[in-house]
Amino acid sequence: MNFISHFQGQPFATNKVESYSRGKSLSLLLLAPALALLAIVFVWPLLRYGWLSFHADSVITGLVAIPNGGANWIRLLSDGRFWQDALQTLRFAGVSVGLELVLGLALALALHQRGPGRGVLRVLCLLPWALPTTVMALGWRWIFNDPHGPINALLLQLGLPSQGFLSTPSTTWLVSVLADVWKTTPFVALLLLAGLQSIPTDLEEAMRLEGASPWQRLRRLTLPLLIPYLGLCCLFRVAQAMGVFDLIQVLTDGGPAGSTESLALYAYLNAMRFLDFGYSASVMLGMFLLLLVLSALVLVVQRRFQQQQELT
Amino acid sequence: MSSGGLQLENISRRLGARSLLHEISLEVPAGECLALLGPSGCGKTTTLRVVAGLDPVSSGRIWLQGRDITRLDPGRRQVGMVFQSYALYPHLSVEGNLELGLEIRRVTAAERHRRISTILELLQLVELRHRRPAQLSGGQRQRVALARALLRQPDIVLLDEPMSNLDAQLRDNLRPELRRLLCGGRHPVLYVTHDQQEAMGIADRIAVMSNGFIQQLGTARDLYDQPVNRFVAEFLGRPAINLLLPQQGHQLGLRPEHIRSVNTGGLEAKLTGREWLGNQQLLNLETKRGQLKMLTSADWTPPTELRVSWDQGRELWFEEQSGERVK
Repeated sequence: MNFISHFQGQPFATNKVESYSRGKSLSLLLLAPALALLAIVFVWPLLRYGWLSFHADSVITGLVAIPNGGANWIRLLSDGRFWQDALQTLRFAGVSVGLELVLGLALALALHQRGPGRGVLRVLCLLPWALPTTVMALGWRWIFNDPHGPINALLLQLGLPSQGFLSTPSTTWLVSVLADVWKTTPFVALLLLAGLQSIPTDLEEAMRLEGASPWQRLRRLTLPLLIPYLGLCCLFRVAQAMGVFDLIQVLTDGGPAGSTESLALYAYLNAMRFLDFGYSASVMLGMFLLLLVLSALVLVVQRRFQQQQELT
Repeated sequence: MSSGGLQLENISRRLGARSLLHEISLEVPAGECLALLGPSGCGKTTTLRVVAGLDPVSSGRIWLQGRDITRLDPGRRQVGMVFQSYALYPHLSVEGNLELGLEIRRVTAAERHRRISTILELLQLVELRHRRPAQLSGGQRQRVALARALLRQPDIVLLDEPMSNLDAQLRDNLRPELRRLLCGGRHPVLYVTHDQQEAMGIADRIAVMSNGFIQQLGTARDLYDQPVNRFVAEFLGRPAINLLLPQQGHQLGLRPEHIRSVNTGGLEAKLTGREWLGNQQLLNLETKRGQLKMLTSADWTPPTELRVSWDQGRELWFEEQSGERVK
């Protein structure tokens, strides 16, 4: 609207209708490069995958796409591995993101404090996030290696038996969560720190004059004002964690016994190992639909929170 | 110490090598409003924050209603403060802003309700009580901030430039209003401002500050007629006092309204400009002892060359070096 009214003041605009259409076509023109880019990297692959998901395209068909009338989708619905992976991925995303929000908030609050060396600390905290996922996944795999990793070396020195951390489903899952939390907590902390810094200090001071304890200040002032930032973190992180691939592939390759396999990994396996591109497209789109539902859920919850605040 | 009011005893605040406040001593009895007046960086806001407990002191003592509060936590000082930004909680309604502090102090729901309705009524905020701060005008926000400060039945009310975010006309209307609400109560009031008109209009007494010192403390009239030094003389009064070129280590200060045109004697002056102020006019004059501003009746048409003198007894003499006033 601003854009349009801006052009209404121009001398060449002889009447409102003309200036309106002029402003509209110009704004479309200016948006065109971004829209074109989105179309190429987002809309086109999506359409292509949609098309592919209704075709058989594998080694059996000689890698030629043959329409199979939704057979991929029917297979998906009854594919135990897909739903198992969906649950595993959901569990992974839920637990990791939950932990990251709690730890990230604590870290952000700590980094927000005034004190010597604050700048250095902030940089140090960000390091895990700056590390390439593959490198850090290899690092964690080595740390939990049986029996040569540092943790098992420590256990052996203490006279305890070494543990197969990455060959037992329960501990492997924990290691994958640990690695993800270690890497992305700084990202969450950084976003929340920005949120904290947007809160004027005199609000905090007004609360102190009311006699509020640090806990009361956090609960009654800081957290309510951070809700938009927490929602943003949630959205970013849930979407990212649901699509987790590189960390899992390097750290566990989905094992042991598929217990840490994520949906993205399953889609990848279908395409690159089983060379079944048609079904892989269905898996990918199934995951995409799940993610859409989940994102909508996050948004609804956030809105509910804000509305609740408005009522009080 | 005496029981009522606020006393500051030799308050100093240093930050590293910098001295923000230097041996500040003052006393504000209950019911009095004292304005801290000075240019930015003079220490007036620091004084306020020290009284609130938001900034620590390096030395000295603070007494409030007979209690030594020098080291007391801000939440236990019974201080009502209006911040320059008003510091209203953006996520809460007007009512929520008022209620939060009472909830923290564990006031019962019935009592909270009673006190909030009283203060909403007093400040004419009843209709606005469900609005958020973002939905209020500047003047309304100020009233909410004031309500919040008064609600906790404070032992002292502190105001930090509460008018600086309002437009000039609103300020003129609010000055008597603010004075009515604040002054003459059971608590003293400290009012920080850089606007002399505001200080004169609201406060009973004024402390003029610069560089962490109190330069002079007294009624507006005292400060205007009997400034202790050149700084105070220059800071108060608009248009500002004329300072003539120094002679033999002394400098003459003349207020524009004390300059008269004369037929003989006095100083030769040349008219270089006129500013029309409505009911009066301000003449810019050039003399051999420097530039002069002269306030006269608006309907007089001055000649381009004239002679001026001043009302006897109204001139102020200052030492050239120290700026101290010579009596």
